[in-house]
Amino acid sequence: MAASKKLMSVRRDWRERDVRVVLSALIIAVATVATIALFASQLQRTLVTSASSFLAADRQLEAENGREVPESWMQEAESRGLETARMVEFSTMVYGADNFQLVSVKAVNDTYPLRGEVEVQQGATAPRELVSSGPAPGEVWINPRLLRLLNLDVGDSLDVGSLSLTISGLLVREPDGGFRMSSLAPRVMMHASDVPATGVIQEGSRVEYVYLFAGDEDVLNSYHAWLEPRFGPSHEWEGVRDGETFSESLQRAERFLLLGGSLAVMLAAVAVAVASRQYALSQRDTVALLKTLGVNSRGIGTLYLRRLGLWGIVGAIGGLLVALPLFWLLSSVLSDVLERPVDYQLDPNALVPALLTALVSLFAFAYPPIRRLKHVPAMRVLRSQPGESGREAIPDMAIAIVAIFGLVWMYAREVSLVLALLGGLALLLGTLALLGWALVTTLRKISGGGNAWRLALVGLYRHRRASLSQIAVFAMTLMLAATLILVRTSLLDDWQAQLPDDAPNHFLINIAPDSVDQVEDFWAERGQPLRQLYPMVRGRLTELNGNPVREAVSKDERVNALNRELNLTWMDTLPSDNDIIEGQWFEPGQRRGVSIEAELAGKLGVEVGDSLGFTIGSDKVTETVTSIRTVQWDSMKPNFYMAFPPQGGLEDMPATWITAFYLPEDQKSALNEFSRQFPTVSVLEIDHIIERIQEIVQQVTQAIEAILALILAAALVVMAAVVSATMQERQREGALLRTLGGRQTLLVRSTMLEFALLGFFAGILGVIAAEAAVWALQFRMFEGEFRVHWQAILPIPVLSALVLAIFGRWQLKPVLSVSPMLLLRRLE
Amino acid sequence: MSDLSESYSQNDRPMLKVTNLTHRVSLETDTLTILQGVNLEINRGESVAIVGRSGSGKTTLLGLLAGLDTPSDGQVELDGSVISQLSEDERAKLRSRRVGFVFQSFQLLPALTALENVMLPLELSGSEKPDAKARELLERVGLGERLSHTPRQLSGGEQQRVAIARAFASEPVVLFADEPTGNLDNRTGSEVSDLLMTLNREQGTTLVMVTHDERLAARCGRQFSIEAGVLSEPSSATAQEAVN
Repeated sequence: MAASKKLMSVRRDWRERDVRVVLSALIIAVATVATIALFASQLQRTLVTSASSFLAADRQLEAENGREVPESWMQEAESRGLETARMVEFSTMVYGADNFQLVSVKAVNDTYPLRGEVEVQQGATAPRELVSSGPAPGEVWINPRLLRLLNLDVGDSLDVGSLSLTISGLLVREPDGGFRMSSLAPRVMMHASDVPATGVIQEGSRVEYVYLFAGDEDVLNSYHAWLEPRFGPSHEWEGVRDGETFSESLQRAERFLLLGGSLAVMLAAVAVAVASRQYALSQRDTVALLKTLGVNSRGIGTLYLRRLGLWGIVGAIGGLLVALPLFWLLSSVLSDVLERPVDYQLDPNALVPALLTALVSLFAFAYPPIRRLKHVPAMRVLRSQPGESGREAIPDMAIAIVAIFGLVWMYAREVSLVLALLGGLALLLGTLALLGWALVTTLRKISGGGNAWRLALVGLYRHRRASLSQIAVFAMTLMLAATLILVRTSLLDDWQAQLPDDAPNHFLINIAPDSVDQVEDFWAERGQPLRQLYPMVRGRLTELNGNPVREAVSKDERVNALNRELNLTWMDTLPSDNDIIEGQWFEPGQRRGVSIEAELAGKLGVEVGDSLGFTIGSDKVTETVTSIRTVQWDSMKPNFYMAFPPQGGLEDMPATWITAFYLPEDQKSALNEFSRQFPTVSVLEIDHIIERIQEIVQQVTQAIEAILALILAAALVVMAAVVSATMQERQREGALLRTLGGRQTLLVRSTMLEFALLGFFAGILGVIAAEAAVWALQFRMFEGEFRVHWQAILPIPVLSALVLAIFGRWQLKPVLSVSPMLLLRRLE
Repeated sequence: MSDLSESYSQNDRPMLKVTNLTHRVSLETDTLTILQGVNLEINRGESVAIVGRSGSGKTTLLGLLAGLDTPSDGQVELDGSVISQLSEDERAKLRSRRVGFVFQSFQLLPALTALENVMLPLELSGSEKPDAKARELLERVGLGERLSHTPRQLSGGEQQRVAIARAFASEPVVLFADEPTGNLDNRTGSEVSDLLMTLNREQGTTLVMVTHDERLAARCGRQFSIEAGVLSEPSSATAQEAVN
């Protein structure tokens, strides 16, 4: 009975326009936040799965010492409920149709791969297929290039050691076809159970055993914790987040989603605040009447508090009802892009921020003006009392700002984000105050004249308080939307710049110093000149300031770079995508010193002036750090932790040369000729990896666009809410102006102009504030370079002027379509 | 005033001429006749009261006379122009040059000060110095000290005085008043109607007033009564008796 009474009262409330706006804003708030949170967690899972497939698992354990790990390690993993797979990689000669070739073998067991798929072809022209297993025992899959090198065909047999296997497919892409120095020769994939019969692996062979694990994140972490004390120096644990290629792109996408979510929260809060203030103003007469009927202040307080609670429930339920189909829609877009079914998972944790948003929006933004209703004097019934002066709204604003940033903080957990938005907002309000002052002083003098421009300016001046608060809200909305658009654009540009269409997709490694010129000539003749070759010396970092480096680095900071040989190089010019953050790059002619990569320097605690000792073969080289530089690991170019000056410490060391270059698909046959002419040079084909990365960037882009569209829709609703908040007054004014003899065209023109001016000012303010916020964000969060977005500075104010003019025209419609007499009666 | 309007005002034809005016409104189920065969002639400078009970159709008649709406049948001729033949914008132009209004509920814009409210019609008709004229009129109605007050800060009587100043601002030839004292107490009401009558006389305006206040009606030169959409002109004697 009580419930139905309450429902009745929501239904009655719904008839009031302002309540409809408050409820709509709440529903939009909850829906946007819930959709983004749900989708973000889905996207997160999908991205991690995609990235995991780069390891063919969630984690990999590599044993580089040629020995298998104790069987108890695997038993432990399985007893913890983790999925496992094993593989072994080694280099060997294969023999087929009278030709020999050095290949890199990967032997996998039945459970491989745990994540991702293997892409194979049944013949050179057959369609590509995705399968989730390796070859069966007795069969072998080989790199298509090997087919041509050995003059073989699918169905022929290939001898690996003393075992003859049947070629049953061409290996186009392996899910873990990562960037590994050991896999330079063409790939051959076989079943692990066939390995002993080949007789290739002997005591002391160069073999790498790799163990794959997949399962629950917590279990993986606890397993790693169990395993870590048992590791030897040659054991390496790799997770998705350690993958240098991907982590940055992933983090940026995640941050963008968080930013989007935070802005959605802010937009929703603005809408709720505006609508509920309007509602409170419209309720003053009702409250005064209730008071004369004997309801005391306390009763009034309880009445409106209950009403708010009810709205909260309706908003939350309504919002979730809107969010779920949207989420499904977005997820199915995602699954189309990925060309694989997405397993829908409703993450209940993702709903918490949505519900909290509803609660905070109601109590921080809607409650304060409504709470003051109980102070409305009963005298108001008899005599109209001065309304709110706006001074009461100042504490409201303070509460609202604290609450907004509380929400953003809860949502993004990112101080710099909160600060950037706060800074943008402060700038906005400051400029607004200036604009308000300018408006009052310059427009005061304008009066008289029946032309639309003057009427519009007079209108702006007369409604100065409403005008300024509308400009504030529009500008805030525009700032949030523009921030998002600008960040999105520069994010996508960054990615595009890192992986342009002609990004290097092949590496040439192991070029002997005396064949460098011939290799360069070979490719220059074929129209694919090599851009830059780097010398490469393999060595280990062993000493830091004269102490063994393992002692110098604290035990809990495991540094991968210390576990393996590093590629050292020398160069005279700094690569364009590297930046010196400390010290000085080598002067021309300088021979001493070393430049270290920034992240490694951070982990080791190395600063400019420290000395580093390297062991290269049997030699030792000691150099002083002269600079620290950042490196774009995801640039797909050769990158080095350590760079020496030319003729420096590395001069007499045995070096080979390395380069990366772009080779179009249709010229791949040149690689066969190259391999024949330079048999000792290794060719590393990473074109399929690049293809995959470009695919993922595209997915993330699509997701970002979808969320952007959602937020822009929310922004439009906020604008509509604010414009329609003054609808009644404007309609009344329009009717009166018509009665007093204002012509329709004049009314239409001046109203549209007035709104266009509002939109233009708001647009300018919004863009300035957005630029400030983007500057801060770019600087702190996305590590990109900031530049002023001139291309956005004009279109946004113009566009917002246009949109608002249309809103204004639309709002005037009821005023123009009926006779002024009817309107006057209705408004009385 | 343009030469054209001068020639009009010197014309001898009646200010308002209503012929066989009928007005119906369509409701969901049937049509409601609000005014039935109204004939009326009002001369330049006359003051006329239309008296009737609520719902008798008097406000509708006023709206039709002022050209705020067009009748279903019959015609209204206002200062030589046939209203039903004018477009919406032409009617608006006519109103801005020749017609003034005073409403029962004042109809001041709450966001505007008293001065700005009075300036409104002047600005709409493109007057060059709306400020000075509006000040002068507000002084005239006794609100010279309250120029920058908004309607909320004024009493009902003061608000109606602002409305009267606004009505005379564009120097109309005809003034329509809809229950001008309806929302005021007796004393304030008679102050306001004194002001209205005085200004009307000074400016030589034709006054058409709708009211149920017989005392106010008696101050007008002619009285009509309206009942169920039918207008009749009682003899002056009957009207005088009604007042006494």
